[in-house]
Amino acid sequence: MIWTLLAAHVIGLAVTAAAGRISMRAALRTAAIAPAITAAWAISQLGDASGDIAEVVWVDALDIALRFRADNLAVAMAAIVSGIGALVFIYASGYFSSGAKSAVRFPVSLLGFSAAMLGLVLADSVWTLFIFWELTSVTSFLLVGHKDTDPATQAAARRALMITGGGGLALLAGLLLLADSNGSTSLSDLAPVSGTAATVAALLVLTGVATKSAQIPFHVWLPGAMAAPTPVSAYLHSATMVKAGILLMAVTTPAFTDVAAWKAVGFVLGTASMIWGGVGALRQRDAKLILAWGTISQLGLLVTLLAVGSPKAIFAAIAILFAHALFKATLFLVVGEIDIRTGTRDIDQLGGLYRTMPLATLAAVLAGLSMAGAPPLLGFVAKEAAIEAALGLTGTEKALTLGAVVFGSVLTVAYTVRFLWTTFGPGPDTAVAPRRWAMTAPALMLGAAGLVGYVSLGWVNPIVISAAAEIDPKADVYKLIAWPGLKTAFVISLAILVAGSIVGALAARRASPAPRPVGATMADQSLDGVLVVAKRVTARVQHGSLPVYLATVAGTATIAAAIFLTSFSTDHLVWWDQPIQLVLAVGLSIAALAGAFVNSRLGAALTLGAVGIAMSGIFLAHGAPDLALTQLLIETIVVVGFVVGLGHLNRVFPTVVDTWRNIRIVISVLGGATITLALATAAANPSGTAPIDALARESVETGGGNNIVNVVLTDMRALDTFGEVVVLVTVALGILALANTRENTGTEQ
Amino acid sequence: MIATRSPVVRICIRAASPLAAVTGLYLLFAGHNQPGGGFAAGLVFGAIIALRTVAGLQRPEHATGIMSAGMAIVCVTAAAPLIVGNTLLDQQVVSATLPLLGKIKTGSALPFDIGVTAIVVGLIIALLDGLGATDLAGPPATPAEGTTQ
Repeated sequence: MIWTLLAAHVIGLAVTAAAGRISMRAALRTAAIAPAITAAWAISQLGDASGDIAEVVWVDALDIALRFRADNLAVAMAAIVSGIGALVFIYASGYFSSGAKSAVRFPVSLLGFSAAMLGLVLADSVWTLFIFWELTSVTSFLLVGHKDTDPATQAAARRALMITGGGGLALLAGLLLLADSNGSTSLSDLAPVSGTAATVAALLVLTGVATKSAQIPFHVWLPGAMAAPTPVSAYLHSATMVKAGILLMAVTTPAFTDVAAWKAVGFVLGTASMIWGGVGALRQRDAKLILAWGTISQLGLLVTLLAVGSPKAIFAAIAILFAHALFKATLFLVVGEIDIRTGTRDIDQLGGLYRTMPLATLAAVLAGLSMAGAPPLLGFVAKEAAIEAALGLTGTEKALTLGAVVFGSVLTVAYTVRFLWTTFGPGPDTAVAPRRWAMTAPALMLGAAGLVGYVSLGWVNPIVISAAAEIDPKADVYKLIAWPGLKTAFVISLAILVAGSIVGALAARRASPAPRPVGATMADQSLDGVLVVAKRVTARVQHGSLPVYLATVAGTATIAAAIFLTSFSTDHLVWWDQPIQLVLAVGLSIAALAGAFVNSRLGAALTLGAVGIAMSGIFLAHGAPDLALTQLLIETIVVVGFVVGLGHLNRVFPTVVDTWRNIRIVISVLGGATITLALATAAANPSGTAPIDALARESVETGGGNNIVNVVLTDMRALDTFGEVVVLVTVALGILALANTRENTGTEQ
Repeated sequence: MIATRSPVVRICIRAASPLAAVTGLYLLFAGHNQPGGGFAAGLVFGAIIALRTVAGLQRPEHATGIMSAGMAIVCVTAAAPLIVGNTLLDQQVVSATLPLLGKIKTGSALPFDIGVTAIVVGLIIALLDGLGATDLAGPPATPAEGTTQ
């Protein structure tokens, strides 16, 4: 089934691309089909997933496989990813005016993201997870950069890609370390690990989590990503992609339960992000930015709960994960509708929308109250579970967790109240364009889902419990309680609501200027700094001077060969085996010296040819006719090539500065001497006997040829030859491309 | 260029071409049992082409076409054993008795070598084109006074 669903997405991509040529709307509505089918399947499996595994093994020995697993958590995540996805596609078809440009790229990227995210939540192997993880980063980059002519948008897209993509690399390293200590790349049967490697792995995985789920200090990309069209913000940057980090943290929790750094760093990251995100949301004036900072805060709460890691905390985290996806997506959809219908997202300019946009207000209030944790909504029971989880701890951990959760929740209530009141409450009536049902309906459906979920807790509970039990089997004793009665947690909840409302009401009255994005600027500056340094380093290293390259290569080879000199003794020097070798060597040396001192370029080419031909004579004397033949042919062609090439150049060499000439002489002489002695040493100290007999036998028996060299090239080591000819073709194409460039730019040489 | 102005060089290269071509073919087919092989054969063909180029004689033009053909042959030879369930690049030896030639033995290494030859020839043509060899040769009628400045 998993293959079918992924295939449906791939087919959907092709059909969407075709439909995009007709119109943006047609493409977006077509694109909704594959996620809708997936959502239907996932919902039918909720709470009762088969746990089926679908896999294609590529390299068995390294356990490299594309492996998916439909367990309860994965299925629930798939229901969110594809369900919200399908609604967002419908919404987007209303969001974009029918004449929108880039009608192919946007829907295809969005569906591509949907497919990647589905793959990510179903992934069951380290490799699969990583591939889809990075795919979501790339599609996110394309979607954030939708308005590709706006420099601010470009910077935001680049920042998002660099941070999430870079975090992906840390994640890969962490997952590989984890897989190594676990002995399996599978993510479903992780055993607890400990030790230094485990700590390093935990920190690397947490880096991946923090980059993807926008935790301090990597959160700076998320507010910038609000430059994306609102459907993208609703889908990627609130409901799904930013949850990837949370999902990853949840999935790897069983492995890191014994790692102290996992808990400590996760807790600090989570609480800091929860509080700083809440403060940020209170300071912003752009409705989308308020929600984005709120997302940072909520994700911080999830990271905190997962870092605490008690069964109850994990249970609460899963409940909040689902509730958050519903209410935050709704709020974004409503803000998008406001943006389209009023032309602004600035809460200071908005007001009175409860009269002019009643349905949007209804959806926003339902979602907002769920976010604030007010009954009778899903957000309330989930928040209640989180407070219960904090109360269930002991000692300092209890105090810290409870304090952070309560403080974070007060801020959440405050920014929710401020947002709802200033936007929808009484104020200057904003002019409003007519309603677009394609936008209103999905928002209403998602907003109502929070209420429906609360009413039908009997249906929701098994889903959350089974999903949480995939992470910690002990979590299945808990359940969400609709009305707990006057217990401690409930009292705390009420206190949070009251305190938060007061803070929110105060903040709503104050019209403060929006803060400057200091973190984002710093991130951009450091990125630019890296690029500047990279350019400088490249200019230094790749200066384009052929003699310097050659001197570098020769110098390095000399240093490498010098290692052999430690075991050199004069016995290793054999002057010659046959007298002809002496004759050839003398000829070769004369030619080489002549080449070094001759002034004309043609002369140098000819002396080099003589060196090569003498060299092939030496090969022949050593009994390597194949080598000699090839060398001879190469020399012939090289000389002709020189003759052709020299036609473009001066007849004589340019004069060289004396110091540079001396350096070259020193490198040449040292290099020649060192390599000669090193080769003599190496030849006198073989590490074993050459397998000549085995090669000869195999050559005749399986290769059917008597020329061992050729049988090795075309049969035994044919794959190497294959690789080499690929290199030859690449080089030839490069030469042709360079030649074409020269013709096009019209410059000679 | 010198070669275009010298009838002796042109005639010699023209006369040597078929001989060299036969040598190349010999190396290609003999390679499995004697010195030679696809690479050496490609170099011989390449040498003729290089010489013909500087002499302003006709020679094959399409580097990319020849290389693509070679690459295709190599890929097909490499992948063909997979179809019948053998490993990549598995060697099949065939022997047959033909009229005139008698018993010959060859194998899938031969097409592989032919592909390598084509790629080497293509590379050399690309090199000559890259160096602008044809421009240098120029039309034989042009008095090439001071072409090498």
